[in-house]
Amino acid sequence: MIKRVWLLPWIGLFLSLPAKAAWEVNITPGATAISREVYDLHMIIFWICVAIGVVVFGVMFWSIFHHRKSRGAEARNFHENTAVEILWTLIPFVILIAMAIPATATLIKMYDNTDSDIDIQVTGYQWKWRYQYLGQDIDFFSSLSTPREQINNEAAKGENYLLEVDNPLVLPVGQKVRFLFTAADVIHSWWVPDLAVKKDAIPGFINESWAIPEEPGIYRGQCTELCGRDHGFMPIVVEVKSQADFDLWLADTRNAAQAQAAAASEEWTLEQLMERGEQVYNTSCAACHQATGQGIPGAFPALVGSPMVTTDIDAHINIVLHGKAGTAMQAFGAQLNAVDLAAVITYERNAWGNDTGDSVSPQRITELQQ
Amino acid sequence: MSDPKKNGLFKAALSALAAMFGVQSERNRQEDFSSGSPLRYLLTGVLMVALFVVGVILLVRLALMLAGG
Repeated sequence: MIKRVWLLPWIGLFLSLPAKAAWEVNITPGATAISREVYDLHMIIFWICVAIGVVVFGVMFWSIFHHRKSRGAEARNFHENTAVEILWTLIPFVILIAMAIPATATLIKMYDNTDSDIDIQVTGYQWKWRYQYLGQDIDFFSSLSTPREQINNEAAKGENYLLEVDNPLVLPVGQKVRFLFTAADVIHSWWVPDLAVKKDAIPGFINESWAIPEEPGIYRGQCTELCGRDHGFMPIVVEVKSQADFDLWLADTRNAAQAQAAAASEEWTLEQLMERGEQVYNTSCAACHQATGQGIPGAFPALVGSPMVTTDIDAHINIVLHGKAGTAMQAFGAQLNAVDLAAVITYERNAWGNDTGDSVSPQRITELQQ
Repeated sequence: MSDPKKNGLFKAALSALAAMFGVQSERNRQEDFSSGSPLRYLLTGVLMVALFVVGVILLVRLALMLAGG
């Protein structure tokens, strides 16, 4: 008995495993009927693999032990045995078919994109997501909202570090949501484990998937196709609301879009533009040009003291609106509204000692966008 | 089976099947290589693959039908 004391901690560990939710090495059962089916399939196939492993390794180790040299075992030298070969081809075939039948049933359900209640186009950008609610007049970008200080280890990391965004994707509970995935630049992949949705977003292609969220709540995911420098900095946050809350959100978001359009025709002072421009800069520009405006030498040009930013205002507006072909500089004209564009250009021309005193009005941007 | 020429086509089909399955006895393999023209085996092989493809298509149809798709 005393010799077996070393077993106790292991027994304790095994008994406590099911209770340890934080011990997350397995996939999640998720929050939809499909995600639970995927989880069950995963577990069934996992245990089948365990059983095969036990049998195969058991036979192997028993054979090694039983036919050991010290007992005078002699190897039998034969070349082939058709019966055994047929057997070891047939058994895996049967096992694979047995696993394929329930897996196919689930896959057919996962590919059934018909009869959706809401259609949302999801577009991957370097490095953010765009959500367009088709036919609902709702269209917004969703960017990382974790402060740069946390990323640079200048502040303690928050609970949802790198898994938080400014504008989450909002869905109503109990409705069939169809997602249409595409991308604007390179291949991305939209993955939310709790919804069992993981689809590539490919420029020039539309991929489809769907989900019926069952419980209101917040579900987080990530881009899961390496897409460049900030691949790990474009998380996904899905907020599932009750139908009533969702309708309120729809109305609020539409109103906010109208207010945004109205703001573009107002007069903005240099201070107002600077304040707003700093926020826009930190969300949309700082990943490459850095919060200091110094860029990264050899990769992303500095804005501090740049001739374009300090003198040639037309070229500056042009590159922000239309990007620069062959470089990572994107066309922000389609991503940001006129006020944000005017604000960020104004900010770049006056921050970090650029001090040109130039102020770009939203109206000037609006004219150029038409 | 004693007269390879008489059962040529059937034997070629069996050999193609064994090839697709991936297991063939050494005795049959030697017999195949010493009897008949290779053309018969090639044509039988192509035909069997075509049948396999049609079989897979029908299987998928059946699976979708059973799932009510």
